[in-house]
Amino acid sequence: MTAVPSGLPKVLLIDDSVLIHRLLQVRLQREQIELFGATSAEVGIQMAQDLRPDVVLLDIDLDIKKQGMDGFGVLKVLKSDVDLQDISVIFISSTATMEDRVQALDLGASDFVAKPFDVVELQARVRSALRVQRLVKMLAQKAQVDGLTGLWNRTYFDQRLSQEVGEAIRHRRSLSLVMCDIDGFKKLNDERGHPFADKVLERLSKILQSGRGSDIACRYGGEEFGIILPNTVGSEAIEVADRYRRAIEQEVWPTMPGTVITASFGVTDVFALAGTPTPEDLVSAADTAMYRAKRNGRNRVEATAVVPLLG
Amino acid sequence: MRLPSNQTTLRSEFADDPDMLGIIALFIHELPQRLAAMHTALAASDREQLGMLAHQLKGAAGGYGFPKLGEAAALVDQAVKDGNDDNVIRSRVGMLAAVGARIRP
Repeated sequence: MTAVPSGLPKVLLIDDSVLIHRLLQVRLQREQIELFGATSAEVGIQMAQDLRPDVVLLDIDLDIKKQGMDGFGVLKVLKSDVDLQDISVIFISSTATMEDRVQALDLGASDFVAKPFDVVELQARVRSALRVQRLVKMLAQKAQVDGLTGLWNRTYFDQRLSQEVGEAIRHRRSLSLVMCDIDGFKKLNDERGHPFADKVLERLSKILQSGRGSDIACRYGGEEFGIILPNTVGSEAIEVADRYRRAIEQEVWPTMPGTVITASFGVTDVFALAGTPTPEDLVSAADTAMYRAKRNGRNRVEATAVVPLLG
Repeated sequence: MRLPSNQTTLRSEFADDPDMLGIIALFIHELPQRLAAMHTALAASDREQLGMLAHQLKGAAGGYGFPKLGEAAALVDQAVKDGNDDNVIRSRVGMLAAVGARIRP
């Protein structure tokens, strides 16, 4: 599963003048965007959190009566929120001095448009900000994916596991973790060579990606994988792991006939562990089970003690 | 070639843009209320309110195709910001109203 944004890019206008909202609704109607509007700082921030827009058009002079938050205040809030900090913010203002512009840009605004607008220029700057956003999103996605295998990478695994553990505990939902390690990978690498070893990793990753759509398969280390299974109890996770085990064992390697590759699996379930487990506790428990699988002959699935084991 | 008179009617620069017709009409329709609100603020010596109204008009008028209106509003805004005397402000509000009166669809 990958996170692909669907639908038109969203642009949020935060300006306290109704005249500006009407004007931009007309002037941006031909751009391929969805335009949203807020007339106060507070509502603007709330909408930004709800909508996660690609671009925010922000009036520096919001609330010039200084009764609440001004444009700079909104910008600071946006840039300090980890979910919102990558939004492209275009500042609009009819009064900004050079110092204001520098301050806005230093606070993280991407661009600046003066009021009254030149229409063509505004449209072009919005398009420019949207292009930047597409690149930012691509980069964020690329930074989360392992180059060789196409699986989520270790950074994403850590983040995602942390999120899922939090959700599972908060909502009392089941969550399992499977750690998987290729058997004899170093030997494979030494005897069959690096290109073959890479092929093994790629093929295995495809197997791990062909499971249930809800499972999150990640490359954890060189030859180790972590699969996060939300809404899954330990006994079900064991079955899933065994399906992977069999698929890997049965895989045929045309360039190296007769070769059999196997993997060892360790399974744990968040509610099988005592107390309130942390993500690290989960990984540790699944790893321990995985090492037991190695010691017990490899090409096996083992699970933390509380969950029933496969023979 | 241009009539130097300041009695000529003012139309929006975008009056021939079909997209803009609706919002320009609305702008013109609301303009008397905006100017009246400024006069009320002026009469009540509420400079903050006057300044805010002038500021908003300054920022939007050009976008609706009325740059002269925007410039006149900017002068009011500036006078308030600079803390000018009442008669300066009153004079500039008067000039703004005069420009406003020339506007036609």
